[in-house]
Amino acid sequence: MAAKLDAIIQELGDADRQERIELLIDFAKNLALLPDRLEKLKDAEHRVEECQSPVFLFVETDGKTVEIHADAPIEAPTVRGFVAILVEGLNGATVEEVLSVPSDLIEQIGLPEILGMLRVRGLGGVLGRLKKEVTRVAIVHQQNKTASL
Amino acid sequence: MADAYVHPEVLVSADWVAQHLDDPKVRVVESDEDVLLYDMGHLPGSVKIDWQGDLQDQLIRDYIDAEKFAAICSKAGITPDTTVVFYGDKSNWWACYAFWAFKLFGHEDCRILNGGRKLWFDEKRPTTTDVPTYAPSQYTVGARDELAIRAFRDEVMAHSKSGKPLLDVRSPKEFTGERTHMEDYPNEGSLRGGHIPGAVSVPWSRAVNDDGTFKSADELKGIYQGEVGLKPDQDIVAYCRIGERSSLTWFVLTYLLGYPKVRNYDGSWCEWGNLVRVPIAKGA
Repeated sequence: MAAKLDAIIQELGDADRQERIELLIDFAKNLALLPDRLEKLKDAEHRVEECQSPVFLFVETDGKTVEIHADAPIEAPTVRGFVAILVEGLNGATVEEVLSVPSDLIEQIGLPEILGMLRVRGLGGVLGRLKKEVTRVAIVHQQNKTASL
Repeated sequence: MADAYVHPEVLVSADWVAQHLDDPKVRVVESDEDVLLYDMGHLPGSVKIDWQGDLQDQLIRDYIDAEKFAAICSKAGITPDTTVVFYGDKSNWWACYAFWAFKLFGHEDCRILNGGRKLWFDEKRPTTTDVPTYAPSQYTVGARDELAIRAFRDEVMAHSKSGKPLLDVRSPKEFTGERTHMEDYPNEGSLRGGHIPGAVSVPWSRAVNDDGTFKSADELKGIYQGEVGLKPDQDIVAYCRIGERSSLTWFVLTYLLGYPKVRNYDGSWCEWGNLVRVPIAKGA
Protein backbone atom coordinates (compact mmCIF):
# COMPACT_ATOMS: atom_id res chain seq x y z
CA MET A 1 0.00 0.00 0.00
CA ALA A 2 1.01 3.65 -0.42
CA ALA A 3 3.64 4.54 2.18
CA LYS A 4 2.09 7.91 3.00
CA LEU A 5 -1.31 6.39 3.68
CA ASP A 6 0.36 3.71 5.76
CA ALA A 7 1.98 6.38 7.92
CA ILE A 8 -1.37 8.13 8.40
CA ILE A 9 -3.05 4.86 9.39
CA GLN A 10 -0.25 4.29 11.88
CA GLU A 11 -0.55 7.79 13.32
CA LEU A 12 -4.33 7.65 13.72
CA GLY A 13 -4.22 4.09 14.96
CA ASP A 14 -1.83 5.03 17.75
CA ALA A 15 -3.82 8.11 18.77
CA ASP A 16 -6.36 8.09 21.56
CA ARG A 17 -9.93 9.20 21.01
CA GLN A 18 -9.41 12.93 21.58
CA GLU A 19 -6.14 13.01 19.62
CA ARG A 20 -7.89 11.27 16.76
CA ILE A 21 -10.64 13.91 16.77
CA GLU A 22 -8.01 16.65 16.69
CA LEU A 23 -6.03 14.95 13.92
CA LEU A 24 -9.16 14.60 11.84
CA ILE A 25 -9.93 18.29 12.35
CA ASP A 26 -6.36 19.16 11.29
CA PHE A 27 -6.77 17.12 8.14
CA ALA A 28 -10.10 18.87 7.45
CA LYS A 29 -8.54 22.31 7.93
CA ASN A 30 -5.50 21.54 5.81
CA LEU A 31 -7.22 20.14 2.73
CA ALA A 32 -5.66 22.04 -0.17
CA LEU A 33 -7.83 24.35 -2.25
CA LEU A 34 -8.86 23.06 -5.64
CA PRO A 35 -6.84 24.50 -8.51
CA ASP A 36 -8.88 27.08 -10.44
CA ARG A 37 -9.25 24.84 -13.49
CA LEU A 38 -10.99 22.21 -11.31
CA GLU A 39 -12.99 24.63 -9.19
CA LYS A 40 -14.95 25.37 -12.37
CA LEU A 41 -15.74 21.68 -12.82
CA LYS A 42 -17.58 21.13 -9.55
CA ASP A 43 -20.59 19.56 -11.20
CA ALA A 44 -22.79 16.53 -10.71
CA GLU A 45 -20.38 14.39 -12.69
CA HIS A 46 -17.63 14.92 -10.13
CA ARG A 47 -19.81 14.76 -7.09
CA VAL A 48 -19.69 11.71 -4.85
CA GLU A 49 -23.37 10.90 -4.69
CA GLU A 50 -23.05 8.30 -1.95
CA CYS A 51 -22.07 11.07 0.40
CA GLN A 52 -24.51 13.34 2.22
CA SER A 53 -22.33 16.45 1.94
CA PRO A 54 -21.21 17.83 -1.39
CA VAL A 55 -17.90 16.04 -1.97
CA PHE A 56 -16.08 16.49 -5.26
CA LEU A 57 -13.31 14.21 -6.47
CA PHE A 58 -10.95 14.74 -9.40
CA VAL A 59 -8.47 12.09 -10.45
CA GLU A 60 -5.84 12.34 -13.16
CA THR A 61 -3.11 9.92 -14.19
CA ASP A 62 -0.02 9.83 -16.37
CA GLY A 63 -0.31 6.08 -16.61
CA LYS A 64 1.90 5.41 -13.62
CA THR A 65 0.78 7.49 -10.68
CA VAL A 66 -2.39 9.34 -9.81
CA GLU A 67 -3.01 12.94 -8.91
CA ILE A 68 -6.04 13.48 -6.67
CA HIS A 69 -7.85 16.72 -5.90
CA ALA A 70 -10.94 16.97 -3.77
CA ASP A 71 -13.26 19.38 -2.03
CA ALA A 72 -15.81 19.07 0.76
CA PRO A 73 -17.43 21.75 2.95
CA ILE A 74 -15.78 22.77 6.22
CA GLU A 75 -19.26 22.63 7.84
CA ALA A 76 -18.99 18.86 7.48
CA PRO A 77 -15.53 18.36 8.99
CA THR A 78 -15.83 14.60 9.32
CA VAL A 79 -16.20 13.95 5.64
CA ARG A 80 -13.77 16.73 4.74
CA GLY A 81 -11.19 15.24 7.12
CA PHE A 82 -11.59 11.79 5.61
CA VAL A 83 -11.31 13.19 2.09
CA ALA A 84 -8.14 15.03 3.12
CA ILE A 85 -6.66 11.77 4.44
CA LEU A 86 -7.28 10.12 1.08
CA VAL A 87 -5.79 13.04 -0.84
CA GLU A 88 -2.72 13.30 1.37
CA GLY A 89 -2.22 9.57 1.69
CA LEU A 90 -2.74 8.65 -1.94
CA ASN A 91 -1.56 11.58 -4.04
CA GLY A 92 1.31 10.32 -6.18
CA ALA A 93 0.52 6.68 -5.45
CA THR A 94 0.28 4.16 -8.27
CA VAL A 95 -3.05 2.97 -9.63
CA GLU A 96 -2.41 -0.42 -8.05
CA GLU A 97 -1.69 1.15 -4.68
CA VAL A 98 -4.98 3.03 -4.68
CA LEU A 99 -6.93 -0.06 -5.70
CA SER A 100 -5.28 -2.09 -2.95
CA VAL A 101 -6.39 0.27 -0.16
CA PRO A 102 -8.24 -2.06 2.21
CA SER A 103 -12.00 -1.59 2.29
CA ASP A 104 -11.84 -1.50 6.09
CA LEU A 105 -9.62 1.63 6.02
CA ILE A 106 -12.30 3.49 7.99
CA GLU A 107 -12.09 0.93 10.77
CA GLN A 108 -8.30 0.87 10.62
CA ILE A 109 -8.06 4.58 11.32
CA GLY A 110 -10.51 4.22 14.18
CA LEU A 111 -13.34 6.33 12.81
CA PRO A 112 -16.29 4.16 13.95
CA GLU A 113 -15.11 4.64 17.50
CA ILE A 114 -15.33 8.42 17.31
CA LEU A 115 -18.13 8.76 14.78
CA GLY A 116 -20.41 5.81 15.51
CA MET A 117 -21.44 3.23 12.94
CA LEU A 118 -24.27 5.27 11.43
CA ARG A 119 -22.01 8.14 10.55
CA VAL A 120 -19.18 6.24 8.88
CA ARG A 121 -21.34 4.58 6.23
CA GLY A 122 -21.28 7.56 3.90
CA LEU A 123 -17.50 7.69 4.09
CA GLY A 124 -17.17 4.24 2.56
CA GLY A 125 -18.80 5.72 -0.53
CA VAL A 126 -15.95 8.22 -0.91
CA LEU A 127 -13.32 5.49 -0.95
CA GLY A 128 -15.41 3.41 -3.35
CA ARG A 129 -15.84 6.36 -5.66
CA LEU A 130 -12.11 7.14 -5.55
CA LYS A 131 -11.25 3.59 -6.61
CA LYS A 132 -13.81 3.73 -9.43
CA GLU A 133 -12.43 7.04 -10.65
CA VAL A 134 -8.84 5.78 -10.55
CA THR A 135 -9.86 2.70 -12.53
CA ARG A 136 -11.74 4.85 -15.03
CA VAL A 137 -8.92 7.34 -15.68
CA ALA A 138 -6.38 4.50 -15.91
CA ILE A 139 -8.47 2.79 -18.59
CA VAL A 140 -9.03 6.05 -20.48
CA HIS A 141 -5.30 6.74 -20.36
CA GLN A 142 -4.54 3.28 -21.69
CA GLN A 143 -7.10 3.64 -24.47
CA ASN A 144 -5.69 7.00 -25.53
CA LYS A 145 -2.19 5.56 -25.59
CA THR A 146 -3.35 2.63 -27.72
CA ALA A 147 -5.25 4.94 -30.04
CA SER A 148 -2.24 7.17 -30.61
CA LEU A 149 0.00 4.27 -31.58
CA MET B 1 -51.66 40.85 14.94
CA ALA B 2 -49.76 37.70 14.09
CA ASP B 3 -50.27 34.73 16.36
CA ALA B 4 -47.47 33.84 18.76
CA TYR B 5 -46.07 30.40 19.50
CA VAL B 6 -48.03 28.64 22.23
CA HIS B 7 -44.92 28.04 24.37
CA PRO B 8 -42.63 30.84 23.18
CA GLU B 9 -40.25 30.52 26.13
CA VAL B 10 -38.99 27.17 24.81
CA LEU B 11 -37.46 28.78 21.74
CA VAL B 12 -34.71 31.22 22.69
CA SER B 13 -32.92 33.73 20.50
CA ALA B 14 -29.20 34.10 20.01
CA ASP B 15 -29.42 37.39 21.97
CA TRP B 16 -31.02 35.59 24.92
CA VAL B 17 -28.33 32.92 24.90
CA ALA B 18 -25.59 35.55 24.60
CA GLN B 19 -26.94 37.20 27.75
CA HIS B 20 -27.04 33.89 29.64
CA LEU B 21 -23.68 32.38 28.69
CA ASP B 22 -22.36 32.98 32.21
CA ASP B 23 -25.63 32.25 33.98
CA PRO B 24 -25.02 29.31 36.33
CA LYS B 25 -28.66 28.28 36.04
CA VAL B 26 -28.32 27.85 32.29
CA ARG B 27 -26.30 25.19 30.49
CA VAL B 28 -25.83 25.31 26.74
CA VAL B 29 -25.55 21.93 25.00
CA GLU B 30 -24.36 21.31 21.45
CA SER B 31 -25.70 18.24 19.67
CA ASP B 32 -24.72 17.76 16.03
CA GLU B 33 -24.87 15.44 13.13
CA ASP B 34 -21.16 15.99 12.48
CA VAL B 35 -19.50 15.02 15.71
CA LEU B 36 -16.32 17.04 15.00
CA LEU B 37 -18.04 20.43 14.87
CA TYR B 38 -17.99 21.04 18.61
CA ASP B 39 -14.24 20.53 18.73
CA MET B 40 -13.74 23.04 15.92
CA GLY B 41 -15.45 25.78 17.90
CA HIS B 42 -18.59 26.16 19.96
CA LEU B 43 -20.49 28.61 22.14
CA PRO B 44 -18.39 29.64 25.16
CA GLY B 45 -19.23 27.43 28.11
CA SER B 46 -21.23 24.95 26.07
CA VAL B 47 -20.83 21.20 26.46
CA LYS B 48 -21.20 18.51 23.81
CA ILE B 49 -23.76 15.78 24.26
CA ASP B 50 -23.82 13.40 21.33
CA TRP B 51 -27.18 11.82 20.52
CA GLN B 52 -25.47 8.66 19.39
CA GLY B 53 -22.42 8.19 21.57
CA ASP B 54 -23.90 9.63 24.75
CA LEU B 55 -27.68 9.24 24.71
CA GLN B 56 -28.11 5.89 22.96
CA ASP B 57 -27.38 2.58 24.56
CA GLN B 58 -24.47 1.01 22.69
CA LEU B 59 -25.83 -2.54 22.98
CA ILE B 60 -29.61 -2.44 22.77
CA ARG B 61 -31.40 -0.13 20.32
CA ASP B 62 -32.72 2.15 23.01
CA TYR B 63 -31.73 5.13 25.09
CA ILE B 64 -29.39 4.93 28.03
CA ASP B 65 -30.82 4.18 31.47
CA ALA B 66 -31.65 6.76 34.12
CA GLU B 67 -28.38 6.19 35.94
CA LYS B 68 -26.24 6.90 32.89
CA PHE B 69 -28.37 9.92 32.03
CA ALA B 70 -27.85 11.26 35.53
CA ALA B 71 -24.09 10.74 35.12
CA ILE B 72 -24.05 12.74 31.85
CA CYS B 73 -25.97 15.58 33.50
CA SER B 74 -23.77 15.50 36.57
CA LYS B 75 -20.60 15.75 34.47
CA ALA B 76 -22.04 18.75 32.63
CA GLY B 77 -22.99 20.41 35.91
CA ILE B 78 -26.69 20.11 35.09
CA THR B 79 -29.13 19.81 37.98
CA PRO B 80 -32.85 18.98 37.62
CA ASP B 81 -33.48 22.75 37.88
CA THR B 82 -31.01 23.80 35.19
CA THR B 83 -32.29 25.48 32.05
CA VAL B 84 -30.74 23.40 29.27
CA VAL B 85 -30.46 25.12 25.90
CA PHE B 86 -29.79 22.87 22.91
CA TYR B 87 -28.32 23.92 19.60
CA GLY B 88 -26.68 22.15 16.68
CA ASP B 89 -26.13 21.81 12.95
CA LYS B 90 -28.68 20.97 10.26
CA SER B 91 -31.46 23.32 11.41
CA ASN B 92 -31.29 21.88 14.93
CA TRP B 93 -32.31 18.30 14.01
CA TRP B 94 -30.03 16.74 16.53
CA ALA B 95 -30.63 19.50 19.04
CA CYS B 96 -34.35 18.64 18.89
CA TYR B 97 -33.48 14.98 19.16
CA ALA B 98 -31.38 15.60 22.28
CA PHE B 99 -34.16 17.85 23.63
CA TRP B 100 -36.66 15.04 23.12
CA ALA B 101 -34.32 12.54 24.79
CA PHE B 102 -33.95 14.87 27.79
CA LYS B 103 -37.75 14.98 27.99
CA LEU B 104 -37.81 11.16 28.02
CA PHE B 105 -35.96 11.47 31.31
CA GLY B 106 -38.35 14.14 32.52
CA HIS B 107 -35.95 17.08 32.46
CA GLU B 108 -38.18 20.05 33.08
CA ASP B 109 -36.62 23.11 31.50
CA CYS B 110 -35.33 22.45 27.97
CA ARG B 111 -35.02 25.06 25.22
CA ILE B 112 -33.84 25.34 21.64
CA LEU B 113 -31.60 28.08 20.30
CA ASN B 114 -33.49 29.35 17.28
CA GLY B 115 -31.28 29.16 14.19
CA GLY B 116 -28.86 26.74 15.82
CA ARG B 117 -25.17 26.60 15.18
CA LYS B 118 -25.34 28.08 11.70
CA LEU B 119 -27.02 31.32 12.65
CA TRP B 120 -24.73 31.86 15.66
CA PHE B 121 -21.64 31.40 13.47
CA ASP B 122 -23.11 33.39 10.57
CA GLU B 123 -23.70 36.30 12.92
CA LYS B 124 -20.07 35.99 14.03
CA ARG B 125 -20.97 35.72 17.68
CA PRO B 126 -18.30 34.61 20.17
CA THR B 127 -17.05 31.03 19.95
CA THR B 128 -14.22 29.10 21.53
CA THR B 129 -12.41 25.78 21.31
CA ASP B 130 -11.97 25.68 25.10
CA VAL B 131 -13.82 22.78 26.64
CA PRO B 132 -15.29 23.85 29.97
CA THR B 133 -15.30 21.71 33.07
CA TYR B 134 -18.03 22.00 35.65
CA ALA B 135 -18.16 20.84 39.22
CA PRO B 136 -20.17 17.60 39.18
CA SER B 137 -23.77 18.23 40.11
CA GLN B 138 -26.29 16.06 41.87
CA TYR B 139 -28.77 14.76 39.37
CA THR B 140 -31.58 12.36 40.12
CA VAL B 141 -34.02 11.38 37.42
CA GLY B 142 -37.44 12.18 38.80
CA ALA B 143 -40.92 11.34 37.65
CA ARG B 144 -41.14 10.76 33.94
CA ASP B 145 -43.71 9.72 31.44
CA GLU B 146 -41.85 8.34 28.46
CA LEU B 147 -44.97 6.95 26.81
CA ALA B 148 -46.51 10.41 26.53
CA ILE B 149 -43.94 11.41 23.91
CA ARG B 150 -42.59 8.10 22.61
CA ALA B 151 -44.47 5.57 20.49
CA PHE B 152 -43.48 1.94 19.99
CA ARG B 153 -44.32 -0.20 16.98
CA ASP B 154 -47.37 -1.98 18.40
CA GLU B 155 -48.88 1.35 19.36
CA VAL B 156 -48.09 2.71 15.92
CA MET B 157 -49.80 -0.32 14.37
CA ALA B 158 -52.93 0.35 16.42
CA HIS B 159 -52.67 4.04 15.59
CA SER B 160 -52.43 3.29 11.86
CA LYS B 161 -55.38 0.89 11.98
CA SER B 162 -57.59 3.33 13.83
CA GLY B 163 -56.91 6.04 11.27
CA LYS B 164 -55.48 8.56 13.71
CA PRO B 165 -53.13 11.19 12.29
CA LEU B 166 -49.72 9.84 11.40
CA LEU B 167 -47.09 12.17 9.98
CA ASP B 168 -44.29 10.93 7.78
CA VAL B 169 -41.70 13.72 7.85
CA ARG B 170 -39.19 12.14 5.47
CA SER B 171 -38.47 13.42 1.98
CA PRO B 172 -41.17 12.80 -0.68
CA LYS B 173 -39.16 10.03 -2.38
CA GLU B 174 -38.75 8.16 0.87
CA PHE B 175 -42.50 8.46 1.45
CA THR B 176 -43.46 7.06 -1.95
CA GLY B 177 -40.98 4.23 -1.58
CA GLU B 178 -38.76 5.30 -4.42
CA ARG B 179 -35.91 5.50 -1.96
CA THR B 180 -35.35 3.95 1.46
CA HIS B 181 -33.13 6.74 2.71
CA MET B 182 -32.63 10.44 2.32
CA GLU B 183 -31.34 11.74 -0.97
CA ASP B 184 -27.55 11.95 -0.71
CA TYR B 185 -27.51 10.09 2.60
CA PRO B 186 -26.11 6.63 3.14
CA ASN B 187 -28.65 3.82 3.11
CA GLU B 188 -29.15 2.78 6.67
CA GLY B 189 -30.76 -0.46 5.76
CA SER B 190 -34.49 -0.82 5.21
CA LEU B 191 -35.54 -3.86 3.23
CA ARG B 192 -38.74 -2.25 2.00
CA GLY B 193 -39.59 1.25 0.80
CA GLY B 194 -42.84 3.10 1.36
CA HIS B 195 -44.72 4.45 4.34
CA ILE B 196 -46.93 3.34 7.21
CA PRO B 197 -50.53 2.99 5.96
CA GLY B 198 -52.52 6.12 6.65
CA ALA B 199 -49.49 8.36 7.03
CA VAL B 200 -49.46 11.74 5.34
CA SER B 201 -46.28 13.25 3.97
CA VAL B 202 -45.18 16.49 5.64
CA PRO B 203 -41.41 16.79 5.22
CA TRP B 204 -39.77 18.17 8.38
CA SER B 205 -38.05 20.92 6.41
CA ARG B 206 -41.34 22.69 5.82
CA ALA B 207 -41.18 23.92 9.42
CA VAL B 208 -37.90 25.79 9.06
CA ASN B 209 -36.58 28.77 7.14
CA ASP B 210 -33.42 28.73 5.04
CA ASP B 211 -31.40 30.27 7.87
CA GLY B 212 -32.34 27.40 10.20
CA THR B 213 -34.87 29.34 12.29
CA PHE B 214 -38.40 28.07 12.73
CA LYS B 215 -41.24 29.48 10.66
CA SER B 216 -43.71 31.81 12.32
CA ALA B 217 -46.75 30.50 14.19
CA ASP B 218 -49.01 31.66 11.37
CA GLU B 219 -46.98 29.85 8.73
CA LEU B 220 -46.83 26.68 10.84
CA LYS B 221 -50.58 26.78 11.43
CA GLY B 222 -51.09 27.20 7.71
CA ILE B 223 -49.19 23.98 7.08
CA TYR B 224 -50.22 21.70 9.93
CA GLN B 225 -53.77 22.88 10.53
CA GLY B 226 -54.62 24.37 7.14
CA GLU B 227 -53.05 21.93 4.69
CA VAL B 228 -52.79 18.76 6.76
CA GLY B 229 -55.95 19.39 8.74
CA LEU B 230 -54.55 18.48 12.15
CA LYS B 231 -56.51 19.53 15.19
CA PRO B 232 -54.71 20.44 18.40
CA ASP B 233 -56.50 17.87 20.56
CA GLN B 234 -55.72 14.92 18.29
CA ASP B 235 -53.47 12.05 19.16
CA ILE B 236 -50.61 12.42 16.67
CA VAL B 237 -47.58 10.26 15.88
CA ALA B 238 -44.63 11.46 13.80
CA TYR B 239 -41.87 9.32 12.36
CA CYS B 240 -38.98 9.49 9.90
CA ARG B 241 -36.06 7.13 9.39
CA ILE B 242 -34.48 6.84 12.83
CA GLY B 243 -36.53 9.42 14.73
CA GLU B 244 -34.25 12.43 14.38
CA ARG B 245 -36.16 14.51 11.83
CA SER B 246 -39.46 13.62 13.47
CA SER B 247 -38.21 14.92 16.82
CA LEU B 248 -38.01 18.34 15.14
CA THR B 249 -41.61 18.00 13.96
CA TRP B 250 -42.58 16.77 17.44
CA PHE B 251 -40.96 19.91 18.88
CA VAL B 252 -42.82 22.16 16.46
CA LEU B 253 -46.22 20.59 17.14
CA THR B 254 -45.79 20.26 20.89
CA TYR B 255 -44.20 23.59 21.76
CA LEU B 256 -44.65 26.02 18.93
CA LEU B 257 -48.24 25.02 18.15
CA GLY B 258 -49.04 23.68 21.62
CA TYR B 259 -50.53 20.28 20.72
CA PRO B 260 -50.58 18.26 23.94
CA LYS B 261 -50.66 14.73 22.49
CA VAL B 262 -47.82 14.25 20.03
CA ARG B 263 -45.52 11.25 20.11
CA ASN B 264 -42.33 10.47 18.23
CA TYR B 265 -41.94 6.95 16.85
CA ASP B 266 -38.16 6.62 17.15
CA GLY B 267 -38.14 3.10 15.70
CA SER B 268 -39.32 4.87 12.53
CA TRP B 269 -38.77 3.52 9.03
CA CYS B 270 -35.57 1.68 9.97
CA GLU B 271 -37.77 -0.52 12.14
CA TRP B 272 -41.06 -0.56 10.21
CA GLY B 273 -39.41 -1.13 6.81
CA ASN B 274 -37.74 -4.26 8.18
CA LEU B 275 -40.60 -5.83 10.15
CA VAL B 276 -42.00 -9.05 8.80
CA ARG B 277 -45.63 -8.95 7.61
CA VAL B 278 -46.46 -5.41 8.65
CA PRO B 279 -48.59 -3.50 6.15
CA ILE B 280 -46.82 -0.94 3.98
CA ALA B 281 -48.26 1.60 1.57
CA LYS B 282 -46.42 2.74 -1.52
CA GLY B 283 -46.75 5.74 -3.83
CA ALA B 284 -48.00 9.24 -3.18
